[in-house]
Amino acid sequence: MIYLMLLPILFPILMGISLLVRKEMKNRPALLITTGVSLIITALLGLLAIILARGEMLLLFNLTATLPIIFKIDNMGMVFAGMTMIVFVCAGFFSFEYMKHEQKEKRYYGYYLIVFGILMALCFAGNIITFYLFFEILTLSSMPLVLHNGSREAVMAGLKYLFYSLCGAYMALFGLYFLNKYGNTLSFSEGGVINAELAAGNIQLLLAVAFVMILGFSVKAGMFPMHAWLPAAHPVAPAPASAVLSAVIVKAGVLGIVRVVYYLFGASFLRGTWVQTAWMILTLITVFMGSMLAYREPVLKKRLAYSTVSQVSYILFGLSVMDAGSVTGGVLHVICHAFIKAALFLCAGAIIYKTGKTRVDELRGIGKEMPLLLWCYTIVSLGLIGIPPTGGFVSKWYLAVGALESGMPGFSWVGPVVLLISALLTAGYLLPVTIHGFFPGADYDYQKLQKKEPNSFMTVPVLILTVLSVLVGLFPNVLINFIQQFVTKIV
Amino acid sequence: MDFIQNFPFFSIILSMFSGTVCSVLPRKAARWVNTIVVSVAGILSLILLIYLIGTGESYTYMMGHFPAPWGNEIRAGILEALMALFFCIIMLLSMLGGRKKLDDEVVESKHNLYYILVNLLLSSLLALVYTNDLFTAYVFVEINTIAACGLIMIRQNGRTIEAAVRYMIMSLLGSGMLLLGICMLYDLTGHLLMSNIKESVELIMAEGTYHVPLLITIALMSVGLAIKSALFPFHAWLPDAYGYSIVSSAAMLSSLVSKGYIFLLMKIIYRVIGFDVFDGSRIIDVLFVFGLMGMIFGSLNAIEENDIRRMIAFSSVAQIGYIYMGIGMGTQAGMTASVFHILSHAATKSLLFIAAIGLTDVSGGSRKFIDLTGAAYRNKWAGVAFMVGSLSMVGVPMFSGFISKLLFAQAAVQNHGKMLPALIVLAISTILNAIYFMKTVIRIYTPVEESKYESITFKNMKLYAVTLVCFIILNVVLGISSQPIVDLIEQGLAMFA
Repeated sequence: MIYLMLLPILFPILMGISLLVRKEMKNRPALLITTGVSLIITALLGLLAIILARGEMLLLFNLTATLPIIFKIDNMGMVFAGMTMIVFVCAGFFSFEYMKHEQKEKRYYGYYLIVFGILMALCFAGNIITFYLFFEILTLSSMPLVLHNGSREAVMAGLKYLFYSLCGAYMALFGLYFLNKYGNTLSFSEGGVINAELAAGNIQLLLAVAFVMILGFSVKAGMFPMHAWLPAAHPVAPAPASAVLSAVIVKAGVLGIVRVVYYLFGASFLRGTWVQTAWMILTLITVFMGSMLAYREPVLKKRLAYSTVSQVSYILFGLSVMDAGSVTGGVLHVICHAFIKAALFLCAGAIIYKTGKTRVDELRGIGKEMPLLLWCYTIVSLGLIGIPPTGGFVSKWYLAVGALESGMPGFSWVGPVVLLISALLTAGYLLPVTIHGFFPGADYDYQKLQKKEPNSFMTVPVLILTVLSVLVGLFPNVLINFIQQFVTKIV
Repeated sequence: MDFIQNFPFFSIILSMFSGTVCSVLPRKAARWVNTIVVSVAGILSLILLIYLIGTGESYTYMMGHFPAPWGNEIRAGILEALMALFFCIIMLLSMLGGRKKLDDEVVESKHNLYYILVNLLLSSLLALVYTNDLFTAYVFVEINTIAACGLIMIRQNGRTIEAAVRYMIMSLLGSGMLLLGICMLYDLTGHLLMSNIKESVELIMAEGTYHVPLLITIALMSVGLAIKSALFPFHAWLPDAYGYSIVSSAAMLSSLVSKGYIFLLMKIIYRVIGFDVFDGSRIIDVLFVFGLMGMIFGSLNAIEENDIRRMIAFSSVAQIGYIYMGIGMGTQAGMTASVFHILSHAATKSLLFIAAIGLTDVSGGSRKFIDLTGAAYRNKWAGVAFMVGSLSMVGVPMFSGFISKLLFAQAAVQNHGKMLPALIVLAISTILNAIYFMKTVIRIYTPVEESKYESITFKNMKLYAVTLVCFIILNVVLGISSQPIVDLIEQGLAMFA
C-alpha cells in the first residue's frame, strides 16, 4: 500500500519519456488520447495515493548514509498536490486544441507529463534532500516548455530561467549543509528540526542560513530581487504551459519556503528575528512592484506574468507574518491563485489562438466575439482583485486579518495597506480588458463582428477553473477548517 | 604470505611486458593484447580490493633482495586497490570508446606504438599508485610523462606537436622540482622509503631543526606535482594537449594522468611528510587558494571558448581546482571529498570527451558550436551521454558530481576558517559550470530545419554506444550508491596514516 505513493510520480514520468523517445506520430488523435488518458490516470492515482497512503513514510533508498530519499504525504503536501492535479488536467485538455497551431506537439506533451510527475514528487517529498533533488529536475524538465517555439527570444528566456533557478536551488542547497550539522534530522517535521544545544552560540549563522534558503526558493516564486526571469519566461511558453508555469510551478518555490520555514527551522525559531522583517519587506516590495509593472505592461500575457509576481508574494507575505490566520490565508491563496491564474492564461491563450491578438489595446470588442470566455475572464479577475463571493476575497481577508492580529509593530497595518493598494492596481490592470471587451465604444463596427467562441476543449477547462474559484469563495469553510487544523500545529 | 598479495607486482609487470610485446605483434593482435591486459589488471585490482577489505589491513611488499631501509617497496591498501581498479576501468572504456577514431585519425603504422604507450602508461600509473618509495615514484613519473607525450603526439599535425612540446616543457619542470624535493628530503633524512622518511621527519619536527629546508622540500614537491596535474596557474599546457590529441588520449590524460600525480601527492602528504606536518605548513593554504582560483578561472575560460573540446579541457582546470581545494582544507573530510572527486571527475570527464567526439563527427568534424546545433538528434547516444556528463558536472543529484559537491561542502562546513571562501567559490563555480555546460546541451538539442550533415544509427557505432552506456552507468552508480565507496575511501585514508 505504501508504494502507492510512487505511482502518481512514476506513471506520468514514464509515459512522458515513452512519448519523447517514440518516433514522430502521424496520428494526432492517438497522441491526444494517450496524453489525456495519462493525465486522468495520474490524477486518479494521486487521489488514490492521498486517500490510502496518507501520513505514511516511504524510504526509497539512501543517497548517502545521512541523506535518505523519503516520500511522505502530509496535509500541506496534499493541498499542493490537489491544486496541481486540477490545474494540470484542465490545462492539459486545453492544450489539445491550442497546440494545433504549434509545432512539435509530441515533445510538448512528453515534457508536460514529466513535469506533472515531478511536481507530484515535490508535493510528496518527505525531506529536504528529496525536495532539492526534484526541485532541480523540475527546472530542467520544465525548461523545454519555455523553449518550446525555439525562437531566439524563447532561448534567451529559457537560459534566464535556467540560471536564476539554478542559482536559487544552489542557495537552498547551501542551507542543507548547515541543517545537516545543526539539525536533528533532515526530514520535514512540524515545528522544526533545529537542535537547540548545537545551535546555541550559532544563532546568527543559522538565521543567515535560513534567510539564504528562503531567498533561494523565492527565486522560483518570483520574489524581488530575483524575479526578473519570470516575466521573461512565462509569456514565451505556449499558453497552457504558461498557465501551469504561473499557476503551479511557481508554487513549488512557495512549497519550498513553507518547508524551510515551518518544517525545518520552525516558526518559533524565526519569529521576531531580522529574517522575518527582511523577508516581509521583500514580499511587500514585490506585491507593490509586481502590480505596478503589470499596470503599465501592454502585452496581455506579460501583464499576467507580472501579476503572478505580485500575487505569489501575497502568499509569501502571509507566510512571513507567521500568524495562524495569515498562514491559512496564504495557503488558501495558493489554491485560489492557481485556479484564477490558470484560467486567465488559458483565456489569453484562447484569444491568441482565435484572433492572434496579444496586446491589451487590440482587444476592443473581444467580449462580443467570445462572450463566454470573457465572462469567465471577468469573474476570475474579480476573484484576483478580491471581490466577494469569489475565492480570492476569502484568502485575502484571512491574509489581512492575520496581519492585523499579529501585532507586529508597523507591519500589522503597513501590510494590509499595501495589499489594498495592490488590489486596486489589480483591478486597474485586469478590468480594462473586460471594459473594452464588452463596451467597445460607439465607433465599433458591428458589421464586421464574427462569433469566434472556441470549441469545448478550450471553454470547458476555463469554465471548470472559474467555477472552482467561485466555489472556494462560496463554501470556504470546508477548506479553511481543514487548512486551519494543520496550520495551527506548525505556527 | 598470500598469493593475492603478489597482484600489484603482477599487474605492473604484466602491463610493462605487454607493452614490449606489442611492438612485434600485428596491429589487431596488439589491440587485443592491450584490451586484455587492461581488463586483467582491473580484475587483479578488484580481487586485491576484496582481499584487502577482508583482511582489513594494508601490507608492504619488498621488491628485489634488499630489505628496508634500502631497496624498493610496494604497498597495497584499500585506497590503492580502489584507485587501480578505477584507473583500469576508465582506461578500458576510453580505449573502447575512441577505437574508431584511432583507426580514422592515426596512420596505421603508428597503431602499435600507440598500444605500447598505453600499456606503459598503465604500468606507470599502477606503479605510482602502489609504490612505497620515492625513487620508484620518480622513475615512473618520468615514464608516465614520456608515455603521455607520445599519446598527445600520436596524431601528427602542427597543433599536437606544439601541444606535446609545451606539455613536455611544463611537465619536465614539474618533474625537476619533484626531483629536487626528493633529493633534499634524502639529504635531510637519509632515506627513500616512505615509512622511514616519515619517522625521520617526525624526529626533525620534534627537535625543531631544519624547519626551513623541510618547508622548501614540501613546497617543491607540492608545486612540482601541481604543475604536472595542471593546477591553476600552471595549466597553460592543458587546453591544447587535451583539445587536439585524439579522443582516447584526451580522455586518459584528463582522467588518469593528472589524477595519478594528484594521488601521488596525497600519498606523499600522508605517508612521507605526515598529515599534521603538512597541515601545519603554509603550503596547504597556497594549494587551497590556487584551487579556488582554478575553480573560477578555469570555468571563465571555458565560457569564452568556442570549441567544444577545448571547453571541456578548460573545465578540467576547474575540476582539478576542486580537488586541490579539498586537499587544501587540511581535514580528513576534505581529503575524502578530493579522492571521491578524482573518481567522479575521471568518470565524467572521459564520458564528456568521448561523447563530444560523437557529436563533432556528425557535424562534419567541426568543433565550433555553430556547427554542433542539433547534433544530439544526429547522434542520439552521444547526445544523451553528453547531457548526463553535463548534469553531473553541474551537480544535479543522482549523478556523481552532486556527491562530490556535497562532500566538499560538508567538509567546508567543518572547517571554520575556510568555510566561507570555499562555499562561496563552490557556489560561483557551480553557476559558471551550469552556464557553459547547459549552453552546450541546449545548443546540441536545438533542432535544425534541414541539416547538412547525416545522422548516424546504432548499427554503425555499436561499440561506441555500449561504451557510452557503461560510462553513464558508472556515473549513476557513483551518484546513487556513493556511500560504500566513500566508506572505502575513508578506510583507505585511515590505513594511509
